[in-house]
Amino acid sequence: MALSGMRGLSVFISDIRNCQNKEQERLRVDKELGNIRTRFKNEKGLTPYEKKKYVWKMLYIHMLGYDVDFGHMEAVSLISAPKYPEKQVGYIVTSCLLNENHDFLRLAINTVRNDIIGRNETFQCLALTLVGNIGGREFAESLAPDVQKLLISSSCRPLVRKKAALCLLRLYRKNPDVVNVDGWSDRMAQLLDERDLGVLTSSMSLLVALVSNNHEAYWSCLPKCVKTLERLAKNQDVPQEYTYYGIPSPWLQVKTMRALQYFPTVEDPNTRRSLFEVLQRILMGTDVVKNVNKNNASHAVLFEALALVMHLDAEKEMMSQCVALLGKFISVREPNIRYLGLENMTRMLMVTDVQDIIKRHQAQIITSLKDPDISIRRRALDLLYGMCDVSNAKDIVEELLQYLSTADFAMREELSLKAAILAEKFAPDLSWYVDVILQLIDKAGDFVSDDIWFRVVQFVTNNEDLQPYAALKAREYLDKHAIHETMVKVSAYILGEYGHLLARRPGCSPKEIFSIIHEKLPTVSTSTIPILLSTYAKILMHTQPPDKELQSQIWAIFSKYESCIDAEIQQRAVEYHALSMKGATLMDILSEMPKFPERQSSLIRKAEDAEADTAEQSAIKLRAQQQASNALMVTDQRPAYDTQAVNQPGLVKLPSMSNVERSNAEQGATHANGALTVIDPQLPSTPSPDLLGDLLGPLAIEGPPGTGPQIEPRLASDLESGANADALAIAPVEEQTQTIQPICNIAERFRALCMKDSGVLYEDPYIQIGIKAEWRAHHGRLVLFLGNKNTAPLSSVQALILPPSHLNMELSLVPETIPPRAQVQCPLEVLNLKPSRDLAVLDFSYKFGTHVVDAKLRLPAVFNKFLQPITVSAEEFFPQWRSLSGPPLKLQEVVRGVRPMPLSEMANLFISLRLMVCPGLDPNTNNLVASTTFYSEGTRAMLCLVRIETDPADRTQLRMTVASGDPTLTFELKEFIKEQLVYIPVPSTAPNPVPPPNPISPQALPTSPPTAVSDPGALLAGLL
Amino acid sequence: MPVAASAIYFLNLRGDVLINRLYRDDVGGNMVDAFRVHIMQTKELGTCPVRQIGGCSFFYMRISNVYIVIVVSSNANVACAFKFVVEAVTLFKSYFGGAFDEDAIRNNFVLIYELLDEIMDFGYPQNLSPEILKLYITQEGVRSPFSSKAADKPVPNATLQVTGAVGWRREGLVYKKNEVFLDIVESVNLLMSSKGSVLRCDVTGKILMKCFLSGMPDLKLGLNDKIGLEKESQLKSRPAKSGKTIELDDVTFHQCVNLTRFNSEKTVSFVPPDGEFELMKYRITEGVNLPFRVLPTIKELGRTRMEVNVKVKSVFGAKMFALGVVVKIPVPKQTAKTSFQVTSGRAKYNPSIDCLVWKIRKFPGQTEPTLSAEVELISTITEKKSWTRPPIQMEFQVPMFTASGLRVRFLKVWEKSGYNTVEWVRYITKAGSYEIRC
Repeated sequence: MALSGMRGLSVFISDIRNCQNKEQERLRVDKELGNIRTRFKNEKGLTPYEKKKYVWKMLYIHMLGYDVDFGHMEAVSLISAPKYPEKQVGYIVTSCLLNENHDFLRLAINTVRNDIIGRNETFQCLALTLVGNIGGREFAESLAPDVQKLLISSSCRPLVRKKAALCLLRLYRKNPDVVNVDGWSDRMAQLLDERDLGVLTSSMSLLVALVSNNHEAYWSCLPKCVKTLERLAKNQDVPQEYTYYGIPSPWLQVKTMRALQYFPTVEDPNTRRSLFEVLQRILMGTDVVKNVNKNNASHAVLFEALALVMHLDAEKEMMSQCVALLGKFISVREPNIRYLGLENMTRMLMVTDVQDIIKRHQAQIITSLKDPDISIRRRALDLLYGMCDVSNAKDIVEELLQYLSTADFAMREELSLKAAILAEKFAPDLSWYVDVILQLIDKAGDFVSDDIWFRVVQFVTNNEDLQPYAALKAREYLDKHAIHETMVKVSAYILGEYGHLLARRPGCSPKEIFSIIHEKLPTVSTSTIPILLSTYAKILMHTQPPDKELQSQIWAIFSKYESCIDAEIQQRAVEYHALSMKGATLMDILSEMPKFPERQSSLIRKAEDAEADTAEQSAIKLRAQQQASNALMVTDQRPAYDTQAVNQPGLVKLPSMSNVERSNAEQGATHANGALTVIDPQLPSTPSPDLLGDLLGPLAIEGPPGTGPQIEPRLASDLESGANADALAIAPVEEQTQTIQPICNIAERFRALCMKDSGVLYEDPYIQIGIKAEWRAHHGRLVLFLGNKNTAPLSSVQALILPPSHLNMELSLVPETIPPRAQVQCPLEVLNLKPSRDLAVLDFSYKFGTHVVDAKLRLPAVFNKFLQPITVSAEEFFPQWRSLSGPPLKLQEVVRGVRPMPLSEMANLFISLRLMVCPGLDPNTNNLVASTTFYSEGTRAMLCLVRIETDPADRTQLRMTVASGDPTLTFELKEFIKEQLVYIPVPSTAPNPVPPPNPISPQALPTSPPTAVSDPGALLAGLL
Repeated sequence: MPVAASAIYFLNLRGDVLINRLYRDDVGGNMVDAFRVHIMQTKELGTCPVRQIGGCSFFYMRISNVYIVIVVSSNANVACAFKFVVEAVTLFKSYFGGAFDEDAIRNNFVLIYELLDEIMDFGYPQNLSPEILKLYITQEGVRSPFSSKAADKPVPNATLQVTGAVGWRREGLVYKKNEVFLDIVESVNLLMSSKGSVLRCDVTGKILMKCFLSGMPDLKLGLNDKIGLEKESQLKSRPAKSGKTIELDDVTFHQCVNLTRFNSEKTVSFVPPDGEFELMKYRITEGVNLPFRVLPTIKELGRTRMEVNVKVKSVFGAKMFALGVVVKIPVPKQTAKTSFQVTSGRAKYNPSIDCLVWKIRKFPGQTEPTLSAEVELISTITEKKSWTRPPIQMEFQVPMFTASGLRVRFLKVWEKSGYNTVEWVRYITKAGSYEIRC
């Protein structure tokens, strides 16, 4: 060793080693550095020996972690020394102390270059090593051609060429733009003919880097690679020193196969055949042996071969062979091999058609799930997750659930998440999904993230069929002795929402449900108490008729929590208490939760996020995309817009209308709720022309009331055209040409907006239109929020208002384009001239890419927006009521087919329509009196009075009397209230969800024809 | 009284625990590992003596080659803890015969454990007075108090000692020759700007006594301090003597000083403990006589050369002299070569502390030796940071000189038997942190 004979250095090192503590060491180092500085500064200069010694010392001090910021000059100058020992020190110290950014290196470039192009091969090696270790840009610029020359020169020994290849590789990796590799494909091909395996291995590394950048240029190398592979694996033509445990140079094999994977495919049939032959040989010839090193080497080759097979998309036979091999691996005892087997199987999933073959090993994989080694368990879980599809979902999820109770804590969260996702994605039916999730919560409550139970609640809310089942299940779980808090949350929520659906079952009366939930209250944490409070409030709301005892119990709880320290609990307690005192208001606020907007499962998103880092997950993701079609969507209420779907409502609606009307007339009996499902077989074809006629026909808003029950169907539909036509006219008519489908039902959104002042009017994948309105007397101010959801701008945006005659509308300028992810606001001024139920339409269109989207949207500037609730006392009411005597100022009508609802609910509905319910004016508790003020420019403020008489025995019919100082207003208000009372929510009852742009507005749909009122006296008699 | 310690550790410089004692179980036994990892092995060591790691506070102090670490987990009195450490070290030193270092600890494990048991109880400091502890913890540290019953010497009544009127002195002492030694030791702290103006200057002084007196003597000390002199002239109704009077700040006394008499008569009278003790401490901020003036000129000539000229002027009396004067002139880290010319003493470059060290063994008063040095720097690859120019530091000792000008006017000894005593008085001034910016 070069150190021998350097006494000063060894003394210094032993001094350092003898230091008792860091402090002493520092002192010694500082002293030595001072000494070195003095020596370097000495005028007399240093002998080469001394220089060498001090530079070694500097290196040692540098390695100890101290800053050495001088003496580089000496180190660099040693590079140009003529003798090997000094040169070696110079190279080593320079490559340690300096990095590519040091200006000092420039001084060395020339010397290094001289060494590289010199004749001495040891010096060449030293120089190449230095360049490889710190080769920065400048080195690459000035030395790359020389290194390239060395690599292909025939006069050099393999030793030098090996180093040259690696040096070039490093320079290329660092600065691919500087190293000129144009026309190198031929040279690389030549290099691959090399007999010396060392040079070949180095060149192959270089090739991998080159090919990864640009595989096109190196097609010529492909056959050579295959030939190399053949030489190694088939002919075993390898010198003794390059075999490792009998395997011919596994490193070169791996590298060659890696290089081959960068080529998209192997086209030449001969090459392909011989490549497959080699791969076949590798696949066949690999087995598990005792020797660990041999195993490692052979498996490295094997797995690379597997990767190559997958890449080349080999024929099925070979794939199945691979899977069989992997299957053998995953049953081996050696954990490393089993791990690799599982991991590669997960990777194999990328190749679609092997999935079935993999499924054969399902049992073995499930066994691996119980392996003592957690990393193997994780791999097995990943694999199970990846291979799951509709066919085996039930088995796998059940297996996961079973395993969950014994699984390691570290894995439970992942396990439960994956089980939840699989259950969601591949659920054969929804009740199974609910079962699985509830079981999951039951078994691994602590590890079930909130997302999972939120998701199940979303499902249940959005699927009405599921609600009673879920409520029943939740009730069953509550019977268990000790249940997890998450289970309390889910059960409480579900029972609060849908507990009333169970009312007839034993043990499910509101009181019983309440008491069983209330049992859990003392054991839960503060985050759950608010949910329980909401549940109590809902139970209270659903208990009809009110149960005094239950009420007082719940009120006691509310008042207890009114002073709770937690703000959330306190607020809920106070609000629920106050609301439940009010009775009617409670109904409105606590009514059933609306459906959740459809969105990507947060679980799946979470899983995707978590998986983003591991490479093999790409396979799973790929499969997830393929299977997205059979994934279960929460509120997939968007059926295909085929003609049938569009026609269906029409077919259904009109006959049923006439059906209602006829049955009303003929029997005067109650009819099935909404009667939408009843399709009259007699009239299957009539509606279509009617529809057209209606569309073209004049508006008959102020047409006279119907004439009689004997009216023929044809006439009936004509008459009702007044109610329908406007709705028809405003419905979006482009739905068939439209390729971009709106998200969620537009009609439903519109209906919601009629009741409230802000919300979303329209949404599709590109745009969302929100609305916010303020109403003051007959003025209104709407603001449209046009939000671009995309990363690309929306162009040719146009918004046109088509106002009805009674509204003056002014829309401010809408910008032509909406920038990406931006929202623009467009204020819209509305002025109401006279009472009318006609609707304004917003014709909205935009262009996204090549799609032109045109939507006709109804604006929620509806009749009731111009109402202002007003309370009138008995003294004001009765004179007014009496003074407005008889038609046309006071109109009376018996309405049938009313949505059955309790009186309180009706009161809520009235309040939400801005009609003030005045209790106590009518002595009869079955009657309802309401008052409001209508504002328009023509009528100014006009008091309107409404009286509803209901029949407790038959809630589907009622008598309505409306009075105001303006005949038109009276009529319009009466019709409006009637529409609201008989309204039937379309999508929930339809077997197939109705397409949102229903050509006939659902609002206008169930209007009872005016003809029905022909004989109020007789009807009243029937009513009483 | 607040807690002072939950545990005490003695570590060597490598961080190995030499000895430790847990007084409370609110800190884990492995907390010292945290100290080792987070303090000792980082650059934090020496920056702040109080550090908090993971809910525990560490108070540490280095004494020779031992770190003494106190760990507490509650709100402790830090000053009390440090005082305790200092006192404990004094105690150990008096037991070990002067030295306190790693070897002394290794050689006296048993004794130290015994002492540690005695000087602190459940985190509360107890009696740390060597005189009293020596009564029942024998110097060898091998005999327990119980086995000492068999010894010839009767067991002294330690309780009486602790609770008695004169707890610090044993009765019945007899010396053939009655002697009193009194030392006034002052250390000067100075920070001076390069232009020669004083930025900060104060003197901390202490009066150390060593008494070898028989019986129960009563001593009275007179100094030329302002309050004492004024009171005296008041009492004796005669004008105060002309001459310099000194104003003492922050005076603290040993417990033996009779404070009531000090308050009424402003005289320091006391019954001294036997042997060595520190009678009082004080601080002076005004009217300080600086023993040395330093006039530095340091010129940086280009990137690699510096010229240093330092003139040190002694301003005390010509008959006096200073001993062990060391002037440390900082130079940049990349100093490579130095050459000196000094008019007295010797100078050399010490690369470990990056200073030129100029030593003058004997420095007579009213002289001004100079040093001129040429410093050559080596060039480095890192961008040359402008040198921060740390201050010049000085060390010295000037016997028979007080920077404050404090003098002992009298030291009277009364004893029943009325024996004659011999009083010895010494003065010495040392450098504290004596720094001159350059």
